Amino acid sequence: MGIVNATKTPARSAPLSEGSVLGWLRINLFSSVANTILTVVALYIIFLLVRGIWVWGIQEAVWSAESRRECFKISKEGACWAGVINWLDSIFYGRYPREEIWRINVGGLLLVLWMAPLWIPRVKGKVIIGLTTVFLYPFLAGYFFSGGEKGIFMQVMVSAAIVCLVAITIHAALGFFANSSLLQFLLRITGADKSSEKNQRNVLLGLLAAAFIGVFVWQMSWQFESVTWTKWGGLFLTFVISGIGIAFALPGGIILALGRRSKLPVIKVLSTTFIELFRSVPLITVLFMATTMFPLFMPDGFAINKLVQVIIAVCLFNACYMAEVVRAGLQAIPKGQEEGAYTIGLGYWGTMGLIIMPQALKVMIPNIVGSFIGILKDTTLVSIIGLFDILGMLRAISEDVFWRGLHHEPLLFGAALFFILCFAMSKYSRHLEAKLSTDHKD
Amino acid sequence: MKITKLLTSVATAGAILVSGAVSSSASAESTLETVKKRGHLRCQVGQPQPGFYNLDSKGNWYGSDVSICQAVAAAVFGDKTKLEIQSTTSAKRFIALAAGDSDMLSRTATWTLLRDSQLGIDFTTVNFYDGQGFMVRKDSGIKSAMDLKGAKVCVSTGTTTELNLADFSRTNNLNISPVTFEDKNVRNQTYVKGGCDAMTNDKSGLASNKAAFANPDEHMILPETISKEPLAPAVRHGDNQWADIVRWTVNVMIAAEENGVTSANVDDMRTNSKNPSVRRMLGAEGNLNEGLGLSKDWAYNIIKQVGNYGEVYEKYMGDGKLGIGIPRKGSQNALWTKGGLMYSPPFR
Repeated sequence: MGIVNATKTPARSAPLSEGSVLGWLRINLFSSVANTILTVVALYIIFLLVRGIWVWGIQEAVWSAESRRECFKISKEGACWAGVINWLDSIFYGRYPREEIWRINVGGLLLVLWMAPLWIPRVKGKVIIGLTTVFLYPFLAGYFFSGGEKGIFMQVMVSAAIVCLVAITIHAALGFFANSSLLQFLLRITGADKSSEKNQRNVLLGLLAAAFIGVFVWQMSWQFESVTWTKWGGLFLTFVISGIGIAFALPGGIILALGRRSKLPVIKVLSTTFIELFRSVPLITVLFMATTMFPLFMPDGFAINKLVQVIIAVCLFNACYMAEVVRAGLQAIPKGQEEGAYTIGLGYWGTMGLIIMPQALKVMIPNIVGSFIGILKDTTLVSIIGLFDILGMLRAISEDVFWRGLHHEPLLFGAALFFILCFAMSKYSRHLEAKLSTDHKD
Repeated sequence: MKITKLLTSVATAGAILVSGAVSSSASAESTLETVKKRGHLRCQVGQPQPGFYNLDSKGNWYGSDVSICQAVAAAVFGDKTKLEIQSTTSAKRFIALAAGDSDMLSRTATWTLLRDSQLGIDFTTVNFYDGQGFMVRKDSGIKSAMDLKGAKVCVSTGTTTELNLADFSRTNNLNISPVTFEDKNVRNQTYVKGGCDAMTNDKSGLASNKAAFANPDEHMILPETISKEPLAPAVRHGDNQWADIVRWTVNVMIAAEENGVTSANVDDMRTNSKNPSVRRMLGAEGNLNEGLGLSKDWAYNIIKQVGNYGEVYEKYMGDGKLGIGIPRKGSQNALWTKGGLMYSPPFR
């Protein structure tokens, strides 16, 4: 005979030695004498470090002073953040004229505006938006940053970019609020949504031409003051170089990787040689070659500025690294996928674009983002060839007569800045991985 | 940074190879014409270095070598702001000049025979005499460089400073052991923290380093100078007129100081001075400007806008607000009338 209880006994909570903070401490940190000693020693070391950083960096630090000598007068043991604060504009914008800095900020905001729709759900045509970011935005930003006389080509590109940006913004707003698209909207308000396809196309082209001409006429009237590239610097320059490097690396890498796996011997040999050549020399060598030797091979009077040389070098170098990342991703896709694609009648580009690449790119995300982070960090090498990127600016602080010898604080500030940027990129990559994951988990 | 050094030599070799070709092709148009047509002067300085050329927090260049750039711009255009300062690393400095990226070089480049004769560049005239010296802690008891027997000396690597130190140690049998650094901030820090018995650098650099220490009074610079570092602006080889312009820009600043012409009294001097040399120099009489291809008031513009040699020295090298505190009195950089080496040929 057993004792049967009609109601289920409620589960008891875990014993205190298991569930509580104290219990966790006991199990993980103080489980034996040796572990206890280790824990105490480690805690002591952490305490010393944190206290040192606290005392130097905050408690004794000087936040406002006219010069390093004044910092010393106030406190000899603390950090002199006043120098970094005094130089903030230079750290972020380099030698850019101070009254024109808004142009950089607006240029940056435009990029955010341009790319924001990519992250908004329900917006259609994201591929086109992405492509315009790569092909049109640089002209608009380039003009904002450098200014000066607009050539006819620049006028056309700037106008196209503005039309495109306005279109994207309206399109994204319509998509988000009305679950519609710009095309549908335009057709509806012109009343052409019921007419024939050819008619619709003509209406749209007409609207586009009208918008373009309007913007073109409008932009002819304004002009920015010219700012030569030699005045670009700081974090802004780092972003320009690494941004173009990142934008170019992925498409360049995909093309090179496909070339290397191609069955056409010439393309294969060329791609392989190119990749291996650039991959087997350090970036600093490529940079030196680009800025020192390259001009020697050019005909007389042919001059491209150092910034362009550097950007080309960074792009080519990183495309080669990216090519190998992409190739690794391609190898990981089973051959059956490719054969399957062929059997349903897809050609080479169809197979690659619709079947192989989407799968491959997804598995490559951690590596791709790793490369992007690498590009951002490698870009600081340009300070060695005399460009005043963020590292160049941080180092220049210690040479300014007022802040002579101040080098710990700027470099620490730079390290913190880079940590934030790189960590954000890394976090975003993890998020992207999780979002795109099609694995059957759980 | 071995690779940087290797590349430096490759780049230099390249410079030697092209310099011949470049200078012959560039002779079609004189540098002065090119500069005037462009509308501004391209003047090359180095990576920021206190006293000579640094950036301030607003992004402007300042320093004694920058003043030479401004003076040449003032001479050519009558406006010292028609100037683009280019900052180049040491590795690229001569090739950038020889290849025509910059019109002139005004940076701490030591005038040597090899550079003058083999790199496709010409040095004009010395505007600062530097020399390598030592700094020690006052309480170390070291009073002379000869006391450094067996000492550990902090030195930057990959520079002539390191080679001079080795020569000095060998010549005097001192058995000095060098402690080398890539980064000068780290070198200074190591010295201050007691990692070396002494630190060696150009004396201008030592003075500037010392001023940046938390307790500058605990250190002293030894009297010996173990190397000759005459620093001079340089131009591309082959355009003598341009070289004359740069050379006489420096000369006019020295001559102005010698004759008591300053940026403050130059207007008065031009109209009222009885000194024929000053009158010729400032263009009040004669036609000394013609050979240079400059306007009559070229020298006036230099002095008015930039100042004479002494003013510039005081401002950036001396005890001025922006200065790095190198005493001029009794040094080689004093005027020849005061026992120094600063001497301008006559204006006639």
